[in-house]
Amino acid sequence: MSSVTRDRGSQSPETFSYDDTIVKWFVIATVAWGAVALLLGVTIAFQMAHWKVNLDLPWLTFGRLRPLHTNAAIFAFCGNAIFAGIYYSHQRLLKARLYSDLLSKIHFWGWQLIIVSAALTLPFGITTGKEYAELEWPIDIAITVIWVVFAVNFFGTIIRRRERHIYVAIWFYIATILTVAVLHIVNSLELPVSFLKSYSLYAGVQDALVQWWYGHNAVAFFLTTPFLGLMYYFIPKAVNRPVYSYRLSIIHFWSLVFIYIWAGPHHLLYTTLPEWAQTLGMVFSVMLWMPSWGGMINGLMTLRGVWHKVRTEPSVRFMATALTFYGMATFEGPLLSIKSVNAIAHFTDWIPGHVHAGTIGWNYMLIAGILFYLVPKLWNTELYSKKLGHQQFWFATIGLVMYVVSMWIAGISQSLMWSAMDDAGKLVYPNFVETVIKITPMYWMRAIGGTFVLISFVMMIFNLYKTAKSGKVEEITYEAYPIDDSSLEPNATPHRVLEGLPMIFSVLSLLAILVGSAIEIVPSLLADQYVVKVSAIKPYSPLELYGRDIYVKEGCYTCHSQTVRPLGHEVVRYGKASTAAEFVYDHPFQWGSKRTGPDLARVGGKYPHMWHYKHFWDPREVTAGSLMPRYHWLFDQKIPFNDIAPRMRVMQKLGVPYSDEEIQGASLSARTQAKEIAQELVQSGVPAKIENMDVVALIAYIQRIGVDYGSIEDDLVAGDQETVVEEAE
Amino acid sequence: MKQEVLRAWDMPWLPIVALILFVVFFGAYVFWAYRKKNQTLFQKISMIPLEDAPQIKKGSHNEAR
Repeated sequence: MSSVTRDRGSQSPETFSYDDTIVKWFVIATVAWGAVALLLGVTIAFQMAHWKVNLDLPWLTFGRLRPLHTNAAIFAFCGNAIFAGIYYSHQRLLKARLYSDLLSKIHFWGWQLIIVSAALTLPFGITTGKEYAELEWPIDIAITVIWVVFAVNFFGTIIRRRERHIYVAIWFYIATILTVAVLHIVNSLELPVSFLKSYSLYAGVQDALVQWWYGHNAVAFFLTTPFLGLMYYFIPKAVNRPVYSYRLSIIHFWSLVFIYIWAGPHHLLYTTLPEWAQTLGMVFSVMLWMPSWGGMINGLMTLRGVWHKVRTEPSVRFMATALTFYGMATFEGPLLSIKSVNAIAHFTDWIPGHVHAGTIGWNYMLIAGILFYLVPKLWNTELYSKKLGHQQFWFATIGLVMYVVSMWIAGISQSLMWSAMDDAGKLVYPNFVETVIKITPMYWMRAIGGTFVLISFVMMIFNLYKTAKSGKVEEITYEAYPIDDSSLEPNATPHRVLEGLPMIFSVLSLLAILVGSAIEIVPSLLADQYVVKVSAIKPYSPLELYGRDIYVKEGCYTCHSQTVRPLGHEVVRYGKASTAAEFVYDHPFQWGSKRTGPDLARVGGKYPHMWHYKHFWDPREVTAGSLMPRYHWLFDQKIPFNDIAPRMRVMQKLGVPYSDEEIQGASLSARTQAKEIAQELVQSGVPAKIENMDVVALIAYIQRIGVDYGSIEDDLVAGDQETVVEEAE
Repeated sequence: MKQEVLRAWDMPWLPIVALILFVVFFGAYVFWAYRKKNQTLFQKISMIPLEDAPQIKKGSHNEAR
């Protein structure tokens, strides 16, 4: 109930104004970074269709640009849109100006600085190598500080509000702020080697578990809950009707925050826990459909009686379409988490197709709808061109459909070709590149679809620019009564009272999230206790460790996985299924999530050094039809032999059993191993100076991957034979 | 791999506790949301986004932020 409409006797209303300047800044940042994110997306899409688009420039290669694209899309584009929408709606729902203009400005410029830092580091290979959390430790700290600034500004506004009730949209914002903080801090724990280099605190399986707890819930609490909050505010505003069912919104909120964060274990439960636990995970994945679709239905049903606005108003059209794609993506997500479906879809292009149905279909479409509502309001004018808005809609929709359909076709084709076996149990397509060549036309179709989406975005920028230019900004003053006990109606229910106590409400929300987190994060944090340590698994040599850092720097994990699943065709194609013991020294883990190229878990020793040398110079020399970029700069950059010891020292602190003597002799050891590799290459006609170059270190690392595990298997076999002999005696 | 790690996990009570908590809380807020007594209140609350604070000319009342 609005406090203004209540009888306050002799009490006078207060006057105030909203800080819309900060909202405008975030709106401008949204469209600017959105264009950058889409341009990067289109660029890497064409790079996947043809390797020459990498232009032989290190900072333009796919492996470096892909993390920049994902960070720009999630944190720059969607992040700025979230802040714009929250700051606009939060003030109006609470009838109060933001807590501090200064904090708002620090928030804005701090966030832009973080984005610029990402743009200045990722293309240069400065990365942690953890998907969607690639930014190095100083930027991680900056993110934490700015997030706290945002939280103080947000909760401070709640404290000084003039509306007692906290509308459901703000519940979603609270869940977002609290959960993102927990996710970011836990996943970003790392130990610095230098100002721009660190190693993850976690290793191998534990790192994978923590990373995908973060990855799953980053989608939930950065790309879903804040946008649902925005949906609950902006759709009613756009159609001038209250939300279809406030009751449903309550159930939607509590169910979503409770289930979403602990539905994450369906990633873990895939071929993991005992049967009862798998069933539990499956049930909760299916349960996630209910709150997701509850929200979608609530949003769409809010349009009851005004469906004609979907035809006439670009903002409503975009919002309705966003909800439709939200429904599709949240159906597909749980579907993909089902074990048998996941066996087909994992590591294929189906996954990027699913992800983009969410980020373009749900996030971009909703942002477009919100901006078409917001910009005319902020600049006090009318939308420049509804016709252009509708044309933009069709460009975006057609482009998205081209993207998603091409990735479905590519993903299913890949999966079927990877797993195809003949009657003799041999692979029908033993050469991985055959499957790449087959789906390349789909990569072209995806790139063209992405271009359509980019064009639609440029149309929106033009439309919004013309709209803002035609507007005239006026300082508007509002009035509202301060809240006191009289704003709480007689016989208020306990929950109603609770809503008036935002801090306690926030704590309860946090508890709901933490209970769910416990299911996934507790076993994750304790995982290393359950990994059997095997003496045959040795730490990387100094040169291999540095070579691994090059692997991380070049973003090889964006196209190559390093884990063989216990599936028949994978074992036939790559070798023995991976085991947890193999990765105990991998800070960070490098399993990847996509196989544009083949898995590398068993690549060590498979080819001679010369094969790798040629492969890094030009992959087409050894694999006709390969899409991999050339890495010429690895042949010119010298190995910093003296910088390897500090890396080993940090690894030692993280539990990798390097002795002090090994660390002191790191440089000499690395030089010796480099010389050995170079000698073999020189015999094949390579110049002798190659022994000091980065490519040798990378070859050393590649040749080491999976090698130790081979000796474990031999030991076990030998051990079994000994047991058999002992029993016979 | 995850399987071999999590198979050794010795806290099966953890998901069970969470499941019980979820069921109890879910029942509680469904009951609360669908209580007939709260219907009128929810209808009023749902109007909050549509009830903008009245605009006035600057300086006519107590100035506050």
